[in-house]
Amino acid sequence: MARPSSPLFRRILWFSLAALVIGISVGGLLLSGYLIQLDQEIRTRFAGSRWALPAQVYAAAQDLYPGRKLDAPELRHELERLGYRPSEVLNGPGTFVASKDRIDVEVRAFRFWDGPQPQYKIAVKMDEAGIAEIQDLEADAPRDIVRLDPMLIGSIYPQAQGEDRVLVRLDEVPELLRKGLVAVEDRGFYEHFGISVRGILRAALANLRAGHAVQGASTITQQLVKNFFLTPKRDLRRKAKEALMALLLEAHYSKDEILEAYFNEIHLGQDGDRAVHGFGLGSRFYFNKPISELRTHEIALLVGVVKGSSAYNPRRNPERAKARRDLVLKVFFEEGLISEDEYTSAVAEPLSIAGGKGGSVERYPAFVDLVRRQLKGQYQDVDLTNEGLRIFTTLDPRTQEVLESDLSEGISKLEKDRKLKEGTLQTAGVVTSVDGGEVLAIVGGREFRYAGFNRALDSRRSIGSLAKPFVFLTALHQQPDRFNLHTIIDDEPISMKLPNKQVWAPQNYDKKLHGPQPLYMALAQSYNLPTVRAGLEVGAAKVLETMKATGYYGDAQPNPSVFLGAVDIAPLDVAQMYGTLAAGGYQSKLSAIRSVTTKEGEALNRYPIKVKQTLPEGPTYLINWAMTKVISLGTGRAALSAVPPGTSLAGKTGTTDDLRDSWFAGFGADRVAVVWMGRDDYKPMGFTGSSGALVLWTRVMKDLQVRGLDMVPPPDVEEQLTDTYTGLKADEGCQSTVLLPYLRGRAPTEFAPCAKSAVNTPLDWLREIFE
Amino acid sequence: MTLRFGALVLAALLLNACASSTGTREGGVPYPQPPVSTVPPSTQPPMQPIPGTSGSTGPVVIEPVKPAAPTFPRTAENISGQAVVSLMRKAADARTQGQLDLAASQLERAQRIEPRNYFVWSALAKVYLDQQQYDQAISVAGKSTSLARGNLYVEVENWKTIARALQGKGDSLGAVQAEARVDEIERSLGGG
Repeated sequence: MARPSSPLFRRILWFSLAALVIGISVGGLLLSGYLIQLDQEIRTRFAGSRWALPAQVYAAAQDLYPGRKLDAPELRHELERLGYRPSEVLNGPGTFVASKDRIDVEVRAFRFWDGPQPQYKIAVKMDEAGIAEIQDLEADAPRDIVRLDPMLIGSIYPQAQGEDRVLVRLDEVPELLRKGLVAVEDRGFYEHFGISVRGILRAALANLRAGHAVQGASTITQQLVKNFFLTPKRDLRRKAKEALMALLLEAHYSKDEILEAYFNEIHLGQDGDRAVHGFGLGSRFYFNKPISELRTHEIALLVGVVKGSSAYNPRRNPERAKARRDLVLKVFFEEGLISEDEYTSAVAEPLSIAGGKGGSVERYPAFVDLVRRQLKGQYQDVDLTNEGLRIFTTLDPRTQEVLESDLSEGISKLEKDRKLKEGTLQTAGVVTSVDGGEVLAIVGGREFRYAGFNRALDSRRSIGSLAKPFVFLTALHQQPDRFNLHTIIDDEPISMKLPNKQVWAPQNYDKKLHGPQPLYMALAQSYNLPTVRAGLEVGAAKVLETMKATGYYGDAQPNPSVFLGAVDIAPLDVAQMYGTLAAGGYQSKLSAIRSVTTKEGEALNRYPIKVKQTLPEGPTYLINWAMTKVISLGTGRAALSAVPPGTSLAGKTGTTDDLRDSWFAGFGADRVAVVWMGRDDYKPMGFTGSSGALVLWTRVMKDLQVRGLDMVPPPDVEEQLTDTYTGLKADEGCQSTVLLPYLRGRAPTEFAPCAKSAVNTPLDWLREIFE
Repeated sequence: MTLRFGALVLAALLLNACASSTGTREGGVPYPQPPVSTVPPSTQPPMQPIPGTSGSTGPVVIEPVKPAAPTFPRTAENISGQAVVSLMRKAADARTQGQLDLAASQLERAQRIEPRNYFVWSALAKVYLDQQQYDQAISVAGKSTSLARGNLYVEVENWKTIARALQGKGDSLGAVQAEARVDEIERSLGGG
């Protein structure tokens, strides 16, 4: 054995030391290489934009102005939908004070596409007619019109990972949330260098005592690293990597930067495929308001959810979530962040989650679906999901709410009345503005909260008698010498051989014949045979031309079956077609978007109103007049009693073979509404247009308080009192008359026998002798 | 009657041919059923016919213009609510400053409040003209005229827009015709 002083020993020692130094150096080198690599990774990810920011989709901003028909409860409802909070006094943006006929509002600041709008305080005074006066409470001056901040209705997030977030800056985060989060998640955050030795020891001790893991030792920095850079795999190697990265992150970035990243990164919940990330979206997702307006108990809930967004999901596990929230509130109190009074009152608060159990930020999936499709082709997918674009849409929340509740409740009632199993029927509906062509509301199915088959856009079904106005419009337009509204058309059987050698013999819906009909009556009563006769005279190709002029873009063949609506069209496209009629032949392409800005608010794209005259005004006016008769005396009569007397609406029922589809499409002065009802499996469901869709449509028009048409003829139309028996000129001498519009110069000039002014008739001649 | 009988025979034949009935006749309907309502003659005087204005892009036909009815509102203030008047003013300011998108968006806001206010549409047509979107200017001016239902004060403005838009499109002949239309209406307004 070599003695310590022997040369052999010294040699061994020297070799050992050398090996150790080399080993350490090599290890150090390797470690340095690894560290440099990690460092690179961190800096690349953290520099520039750290997150893919989904585009944010906003509803139309509500304008308030004197004269608007809106009573106090309705305004209150609007404000609550926007997440405004009732209060005793105005208490910051997003609060309001309501009394019987006055509501004071502190309106939030908002960056619109046309520039930022600062926060402001107003008093809205109401009378029976609606808004009577708006007073600016700061300037103490009246305001002609004010704009509320628009509701965030959804976002366009990538379908694959499904990460959604609303970015916040640290200075937007309420102090209590910032301090409270640190107090609960990582008390030593401002002292440690990324990892906390004391924390690890404390956790180890606690876990040892309990016999299993009860406490985590991750610092906020480690949690951020874990979420930001690493996969959810849990092992020692990953733990070591996490610690190293945490140290590196702290070396490069300030505590504030790390905290801000944490606020935006942390996973706070799941909404189907969509992952809710960050407190900005969390605040919207759970409380329907911006982060700056969170109250103490709401902050505590969000801080509590950090521990486990599934376990403490306030919608699924409200009790556990409340217990966690109250525990967090206790920490807030013990740390001196809130007073005892604040603590007691916060603990007494309910969870107050927006939208109840099923609520989410994405409230209108069918509408957002349309927005997404409209943007396709104009923006790359990655721009929509990553750049944080702000998309301002045409959705009118009030109209949407009406359409949703009227369709879903209406359809349940129809099922109940017919003793059908709940869920047998499906429905879809669209409401648009007449003159601007804006899509105001869409329902894609009875479960309108869930993204799924969007029937309003994708369910193309036979339109049945909805085609008739286009047939008669073609006749009135193409053959003005032959057709006017009183032209008598036979209601007689027709049979013809089709190119495929089959015999086509259409019948009336009631399988009866009603004798010769004036054109407008054939439309009002939706008789098939006169329609086919008129259609055959003008030809299916011409009818399709008219349909295309209104916005139809399908590829239906010019067969006679087109006259009776053997054309498959989706409800949204029907709304486009009827909208062109409603606007007197001036087509406005339906649009769901008004403008798009960058996330900084810089305008990228505006979608102005586009108008194009695609049909002549006169014949369009005539067919609209005939469609008012559908409602005043025809198959749409049932709608008449639901709207205020004197309200003139126009529309058409549609029913398809064996009652597979029930349609109603129609309009007032400013709204077009289309409703479809049927079964997804195409089976007959037993409702006609009148007994099904019309019932739903009527509810919608009534609840929207839709304005009636003012039927003032255009310059190329003249009105003539007409004898209903002969279709000739009538006066007060006639018993049964109707004031009919005609294309100018085409009204009957000859007096009917009943007319007092009739001259040269045998009756008059006799009368003159005896008088 | 023979025709009807023939139809019935045909119906019967078809019944055999394709095993589907063509319908049974309702009894005792001699002629078109009288419509339910008996409408009294219109109490309103008929509108002034303004020929040649219904199509905005079609050939311009110059026809004599009848004097304007004195009741036609002259300015937007006559028919618009406070909010719309205010928005129209903002739009006019924006237009003078060359902020055309802003001007258009204020007018669109006004249009949403009063969708059939022809003064708003008329002003919107002028913004399109400034934006050199000539087809839109012509269409929107046409729509304004259509909604104005014979109001010559609005119509004359719309024809001015159309004339300048046609000029912008390089359709000099159309522009001259539209100008003539403007002169015609102005003369009648001056005289009436």
